[in-house]
Amino acid sequence: MTEKQSMHIDPYEKNWIRLSIGLLVVFALAVTIAGFAMGIQVPSPEARVDPRTVADEGPWAEPGLRELAPGKYEAYVLAQTWQFTPREMTIPAGSEVTFYITSKDVQHGFKLQNTNINVMVIPGQVSKLSVKIDEPGRYDYICTEFCGLGHAAMFGTLIVE
Amino acid sequence: MSQRWKKIALYTFYTVMIIVVGGAFSFKVFQPIQVLPRIRLAPGFSVVMDDGERLTNEDMRGKLALYSFTYTRCQEPDCQRLIQTMLELQDKIDTVDFGGTEIQFVTITVDPEHDTQEALRAYAESIGADPALWHFARIDDPMLLKYVVGGGFETYYDEQEDGRIQLDPSFVLVDGWGIVRGEYHYRTLASDSDRILRHLDALAEEIRNSTGVASLAYEAAHYFLCYTP
Repeated sequence: MTEKQSMHIDPYEKNWIRLSIGLLVVFALAVTIAGFAMGIQVPSPEARVDPRTVADEGPWAEPGLRELAPGKYEAYVLAQTWQFTPREMTIPAGSEVTFYITSKDVQHGFKLQNTNINVMVIPGQVSKLSVKIDEPGRYDYICTEFCGLGHAAMFGTLIVE
Repeated sequence: MSQRWKKIALYTFYTVMIIVVGGAFSFKVFQPIQVLPRIRLAPGFSVVMDDGERLTNEDMRGKLALYSFTYTRCQEPDCQRLIQTMLELQDKIDTVDFGGTEIQFVTITVDPEHDTQEALRAYAESIGADPALWHFARIDDPMLLKYVVGGGFETYYDEQEDGRIQLDPSFVLVDGWGIVRGEYHYRTLASDSDRILRHLDALAEEIRNSTGVASLAYEAAHYFLCYTP
């Protein structure tokens, strides 16, 4: 019985295939190490709310920054076309802020420049992320999801002093 | 011969890859196991309960705890809803099979000045709290209270100038390792009692089932973020 000739692959192409598989393995390892050893987690929806009434009562009725304890803050942020409420928050350097963000109309994004905070803001869901900022300065938070004509003007500032 | 073995090895490799990748994808998509997230470590604390006993976070090792935060003078609908939710949970807690693991409700007051030990006991009796399950507790030192409730349990409260207390009445679910597994700080689509009961069910199931090899499946559920809604 004769062996069937195996498929011919050009050596150049073969190397690229090896490289791509190698990259996939590296990425899978990176995700595993980030997840287990460094404890990095992707943001997952925290809870479901009713976007029609979320701004009527509870913490998003008066969104803003609140001090939980010395050096620890929480910020309830309401996104809507085309603004974030509040537009400006001030915290001392070295403190930790937990953001609870939701939208009352369409999909928005929340990215706090120069930090690890970047999350989608989906109507009906609450996005929660924490960050500790040591470096004083002005950190703008911008909408990263095209949400209409005023999208470019949708931003706010976190002042760390 | 070697050519043939090469082929077999290659096909075995492909098959294993397809099973692993396909398995991981379908595990994430269909989520046969759902768990509660491991959010962060619960704070250390020491409180005095309404029966005069001292309770610390170390006493709660190996037990589940549902902490809640309110104060007895509170007339806001949110506070009444919190007590109502706790009473509903007290009624339905027997429907959850914790497999022998104990659960305790601890309600910590954010107004220790008015909520003395006697006042808390009177309040617990007046609303019909089961003393075997549910205790009211206080921390005397306002600074410590702030660090435990605000800093640790991340529940916001603030005393206003006119003496009123602004508070988000909330619940925090902590497992036997002292890890926060659920936080309920604001109103959601599902009522708090439904959500907490569903979460208690999920936690109880994880405690009962995650032994031996099955515990790996539960770890996978954590890794793939298969969280109970």
